[in-house]
Amino acid sequence: MVAENMAAETAAPFLDVEGLTIRFGGLTAVGGLDMAVAKGSIHALIGPNGAGKSTTFNCISRFYTPSEGRITYDGRDITRMPAREMAGLGIARSFQNLELFGELTVFENVLIGAHVHAGRSWRDAISARPRGIVEHVDELLERTGLTSYAQTKARNLDFGHQKMVEIARALAIRPKLLLLDEPAAGLRNREIAALDRLLCELRERDGLTILLVEHVMQLVMSISDRITVLSFGTKIAEGTAAEVRANPAVIEAYLGREAAHEAAHA
Amino acid sequence: MPARRALSGTALIGLVAAVIVAVALPVFTSGYVVYIANLLLVFVVLCLGLHIVIGETGQFSMAHAAFYGIGIYASALANRAVDLPYPVAMLFGALVAGAVGLFIGALALRMRDIYLALATFAFGEAMQWVFANWDSVTNGPNGLRISPARFGPIEILSDKQAYPFVLFFCLVMIGLTVAISRSRLGRSFRAVRESEVAAMAMGIDVRRARIVSFGLSAAIAGFAGGMFGLFQTFIHPDSLGFQTTILVLTMVVVGGLGSIAGAIGGAIVFGLISEVLRQAPQYQEIIYGAILILFMMYAPRGLFAFIGDRIREARHGR
Ligand SMILES: Nc1ncnc2c1ncn2[C@@H]1O[C@H](COP(=O)(O)OP(=O)(O)OP(=O)(O)O)[C@@H](O)[C@H]1O
Ligand SMILES: [Mg+2]
Repeated sequence: MVAENMAAETAAPFLDVEGLTIRFGGLTAVGGLDMAVAKGSIHALIGPNGAGKSTTFNCISRFYTPSEGRITYDGRDITRMPAREMAGLGIARSFQNLELFGELTVFENVLIGAHVHAGRSWRDAISARPRGIVEHVDELLERTGLTSYAQTKARNLDFGHQKMVEIARALAIRPKLLLLDEPAAGLRNREIAALDRLLCELRERDGLTILLVEHVMQLVMSISDRITVLSFGTKIAEGTAAEVRANPAVIEAYLGREAAHEAAHA
Repeated sequence: MPARRALSGTALIGLVAAVIVAVALPVFTSGYVVYIANLLLVFVVLCLGLHIVIGETGQFSMAHAAFYGIGIYASALANRAVDLPYPVAMLFGALVAGAVGLFIGALALRMRDIYLALATFAFGEAMQWVFANWDSVTNGPNGLRISPARFGPIEILSDKQAYPFVLFFCLVMIGLTVAISRSRLGRSFRAVRESEVAAMAMGIDVRRARIVSFGLSAAIAGFAGGMFGLFQTFIHPDSLGFQTTILVLTMVVVGGLGSIAGAIGGAIVFGLISEVLRQAPQYQEIIYGAILILFMMYAPRGLFAFIGDRIREARHGR
């Protein structure tokens, strides 16, 4: 019985990308990508610069529309849905090159993240501090270490804290699927450790599913349940951290053919 | 609660003083001063309207004299056509201006920055042409007589009589603007101003926000037009042109773009400056221009940010 249930759950991935192809003019940025993300997992999407990670990411969050293929989320085909409907479905994203509301306070940034929840009643909609939501915002600021910056303009924060605002704002959507594009890029070691802890907690305590595009291998290898490796728009490997790390194709893609050869004979 | 910071002592004293002066004004001054006060209060509301679209949503509009004019004509004509209390005519003016604003907002969706500025400028010019040439409705270049506003048995025949109503409607509009700004709608406006892509990712309908902000902004400008009819007996299309739009734009920008207090303060300070300069008509434009340049050089973030900075410096003994 238990085994059957588990089989049923693994059979239908929470996020299913099938045959995803994205062309820009003559350039095929992503070609026929298949990727299945299991519910409650942290799934990393890695690959060298220009591999097509952000392009894939932007398709899933519906900022780009694929040339071919299908994206299924929680049993629903979202391939052609408008981007602004994603938040309502529980899909939240961050931006690789920060897209904060710079002139607004950190508090207001995160409060706007809760936009889809702030209009349940007329009273909530006209309130500057809608009930139930403000408490959630405060909790998120606490969890992301931003409480003391609540009234600071986002533009005046240092880079590490700005990245945290991106995450806190995405979490205010109360997402089921969190898409993060290089959240660790440019962070210091201590900040990466905090991010590592936060993401694990989101998976364990909140049951979030996280798709992580990331170059910082220290983070990817420590928290990912599964890793998909892209190179020049195609998938070259997939598996657990250990499997991917040992895969010669991956080493070659990252280090070049000669280095891969040396690594194999070391 | 940090988000609801209490008013500081100085600000509170200033506010109380302003209210006392505003309320007592007609008691100890001449009709002319009251007339200027009425006009300034109308400009405050006009600036609040422009604030919604430029300050909150970050979209250019160079057409606010047109929305104001639509409000003036629509409420004056409604007031003449049906025998209802004047506020109904004012609401009608706001609604007509708001509807035109929604339409312009929808057309403006595909435009940005300088293109949007030019397109709204063209609309403003076109509307002024309509005011001046639609003889059967606006009485064309001869201007339109505005019949006195009535509130039940009270008929308003003087500036002093009109003043309490003008002040009241101005305060209502300030309250409304603050409420919009603090609400979910206001937050979505600012989100669109700061980053359209991030706003979209938060589930905000960016197109709708842009259209609604245009409509609201135009409706408030139209309401200012209705307020104008409370104490004015005559409207001429000449006063609804580009100069008026630029004056309002100046008030909002110099007061402090993005802040309601800035829009109000800008309207009062620059309204007073242009009124004083009227005493010396031969130098009016050059002095006005010089003041504007000085403001842009020394207080680029606006009058209020400038004063705030000076106060803070004085406190910290620098
Ligand atoms: N909007 C676009 N128009 C044209 N080409 C694009 C566009 N977006 C991405 N590309 C191209 O698609 C390819 C994949 O880019 P993408 O940003 O997805 O890479 P990435 O894997 O995220 O790289 P990085 O690690 O540097 O962020 C690149 O060659 C890029 O130049
Ligand atoms: Mg990228």
